[in-house]
Amino acid sequence: MTTALILLLLAVGAYLVAVIEAWTVSGRWQLAAPITAGIALLGRESIVPRKLDRVFFEVAPVLLLISALLAATVLPLTPGLIITDLATGALFINAALVYVLVALLMAGWGPNGAYAMIGGWRFLGQLIAYAMLIVMPVTAVAMRAESLLTTQIVTSQADLWNILYQPLGFVLFFVAAMALAFLPPFDLTTATSELAGGVEAEYSGVRLAVFRLGRLVLVITLAATTVVFYLGGWQGPWLPPWAWSAIKILAVTALMLLAGRVLPRIREADLLNLCWKLGIPLALLNIFVVGLQVLVWP
Amino acid sequence: MIVGARQGKLSGLRQLVAKAMARELTGFLVPGLDIAHAQGLDVEAAGVRLVASPRHASVLMVAGDISPALRNAAAIIYAQMARPRALLVLGAGGLSPLPSADVTSELSQPGLIDGIAQLRIAFAEGAFRPEVTDFDAPMLHVRVEYTCPMHPEVVQDEPGSCPKCGMTLEPREASANDVDSHPHETHDHHHESHDHQHEVHNHDHGSHSHHHEAHDHDDHESHSHQHEAEDHQAMDHSGMNHGDMDHGSMDHGDHGDHAFMSMIDVTKDLPRSSDGLPMDWIDVPFGPFFPGLPSGLLLTLTLDGDTVAGSSARTLTENVALPHHSALEPLSFVARLSNMEPLAPLAYRFLANQAMENAAGIEITTVTARGRVGALERERITSHLGWLALFGQQMGFGWLLRRAAALQLKFRHANEQAIMALKPDIESLIKRLRRTPLLKSRNAGIGRLVQDNALRGPVARAVGIDNDARSTDPVYTALGFKAISRDSGDSLARLQVRLDELRQSLALIDAAGTIELFEPANIGLATGAGEAFVETPRGAAHLRLTLEKGLVVTAQLETPSTHHLTLTDSLTKQQSLGDALLAVGSLDLSPWEIRQ
Repeated sequence: MTTALILLLLAVGAYLVAVIEAWTVSGRWQLAAPITAGIALLGRESIVPRKLDRVFFEVAPVLLLISALLAATVLPLTPGLIITDLATGALFINAALVYVLVALLMAGWGPNGAYAMIGGWRFLGQLIAYAMLIVMPVTAVAMRAESLLTTQIVTSQADLWNILYQPLGFVLFFVAAMALAFLPPFDLTTATSELAGGVEAEYSGVRLAVFRLGRLVLVITLAATTVVFYLGGWQGPWLPPWAWSAIKILAVTALMLLAGRVLPRIREADLLNLCWKLGIPLALLNIFVVGLQVLVWP
Repeated sequence: MIVGARQGKLSGLRQLVAKAMARELTGFLVPGLDIAHAQGLDVEAAGVRLVASPRHASVLMVAGDISPALRNAAAIIYAQMARPRALLVLGAGGLSPLPSADVTSELSQPGLIDGIAQLRIAFAEGAFRPEVTDFDAPMLHVRVEYTCPMHPEVVQDEPGSCPKCGMTLEPREASANDVDSHPHETHDHHHESHDHQHEVHNHDHGSHSHHHEAHDHDDHESHSHQHEAEDHQAMDHSGMNHGDMDHGSMDHGDHGDHAFMSMIDVTKDLPRSSDGLPMDWIDVPFGPFFPGLPSGLLLTLTLDGDTVAGSSARTLTENVALPHHSALEPLSFVARLSNMEPLAPLAYRFLANQAMENAAGIEITTVTARGRVGALERERITSHLGWLALFGQQMGFGWLLRRAAALQLKFRHANEQAIMALKPDIESLIKRLRRTPLLKSRNAGIGRLVQDNALRGPVARAVGIDNDARSTDPVYTALGFKAISRDSGDSLARLQVRLDELRQSLALIDAAGTIELFEPANIGLATGAGEAFVETPRGAAHLRLTLEKGLVVTAQLETPSTHHLTLTDSLTKQQSLGDALLAVGSLDLSPWEIRQ
């Protein structure tokens, strides 16, 4: 029951992400567009390139979707609305999201196309750059909650949300989450004007539909993760918990998508520089500062 | 005819899907967005979403007449599109080898809107049409050659047995690189010795330098092109039943001809990167319809990972504007020259007029001269805005693409009052760009040039060379013209120079006070020689011509983009892919005026 409800909510979430994304691009609200676009994709031929790596090509879109769905299973939307409250929830999210990389690498290699392949390798090149910036801030979040249970992480923020308790961690996590979801300005792996769609370039028809759905679910999952870790989850005055979750998740999604509208794409070298030379030291500092805060001000 | 995706009857569900497809048209634009904007087309406003990959497009839109080389490239794009697909042709022009158009319409915004409305009806009705036709074109054919599994150096066109060991030769596809003379000598050998997977799939975006060149040799009609096969496979319409085609694992395993896979053996023939590591190098075509690059330009980058190891650039527009053997009427000469360059037609029209007036010894009045200045500066504004839109697209900066393109459309035929009314919009655009984070770090230090005689226009002024043809023009100096210059010579400086020139051109139009579309001068039956320099939006163009009894008999044209094209190699070498493309983009090349 809970599983079905969460899946339904994710579907609605993915739809809303698509609507917001279309708005950031065109400036118009087209409420029916994601649905008609999806149906249209289902009707189109799904081309299989020649000399492909069949397994990689077929598995990649599905794996992307699954990895985003897996991460969503440990995210609480209300105190009771969670598929499984794993004792290692925060770690599990990381583990699930690693498969995003695997999926993109497979999507890059599989179709045997130059643009896709470069896109896939680019994403691999960013691996540690952003992956460390997801793990390290989460460490600090878990330190405060003294637990990896995601529900515990939410309740630990009852007095003060983590966005205020550890703002540095929030900024790092938010940026890394955008990079993980390859949202502009970090869309190096699908860059239209450099790789003509990159890892997406060779997919069409139903496979493309699954790939795009996977990405939408990934965005909504990452937004929900941000809310659980930093924005106090379902907590808030007056409104019921589910409403707070929904409002916060949509706000974070909009923020993630808006950045691409006002910024040019980042240079790959700059992204790596930023993550390695600035991001990782700052993440360490964040852990240190939060450690002090936990000791001094339990 | 719209070619259906699947055979079968039009059931209720399929009707629904067909309707959805009719609503959600995705377009691939030929020759490109820059030309469409210059022609006053706003495709997205007409309701078609433009996509970067042919795989994602349902409509191939061909705007205007294009050269045979571009048509060949467009045919490759068409072959890659997933069905149901349609061909929309705006304006008249030859299409071969493309199939006949599904919808034809005139080359204008109303024509575009009308054409799209017809397309929607065609899609709703024909998306699942059972009578499918195949698309075939000579450049899609694959040549099969035969090679010995033990002796890769044995390659022949006919099946047979190996002269060295007697084994039966195995078929494989010839790579396009074997067909034409490939410029990158350094890694030719690895193409020969290993049937390396990546040679065969440089397919996107019409790629086909190879295709085009090899076309001239009738005996090799043969290209390693993957999409042809897909077309046929998809025809049997389970669509994905590939069976024997699918030898992916073998290909990826590479180098299967070595019994013992030693790393040294495997990599010994590979080219070395600058860091000394042996890597697979792949030639990847960018263009002639690549989003963010000038349309018609074919840039082939040899990629060593994400780094550019070498490049070649050429234009596929095949413009032949000038008389070589026959004399031309003055009016048709002017028309030819201005039609040559869709991105700056007035500048070339002006150039032709001025050269003829000089040859015939005709003086023009100050009023006419000022009118020309106004028109020329307006064209500079639209051209720079068009470049900004393209540059915005290249940087993945959607806001800039849309904003600059919208302003460009407004400026196209604006009169003096309308232009002055648009001044605040230009100011706010410049201000916004100045405040945009990441823009500076994206461009600073990229594509740095040093002072060089080959540089023209804004590219030259960004390195501090003042070779503006307007500086020596008395009409301009009377209007208070002073050339703008920057000195860092990188992509950022070129952006800044063009932004400053937007302001400057507005001021010049204000000072000239008039925009007049000049009539070609009546040169009567004059005989003589003359020349002219005009500062086009891309730099000074030079035309020298001779008249004989009122006819243009010889003409030599020198254009800025011809000079700038030679810079692409040094600008891209050892740069990362993104930086290399940005550097080429910042030159504002126009393939239409390049003379090869």
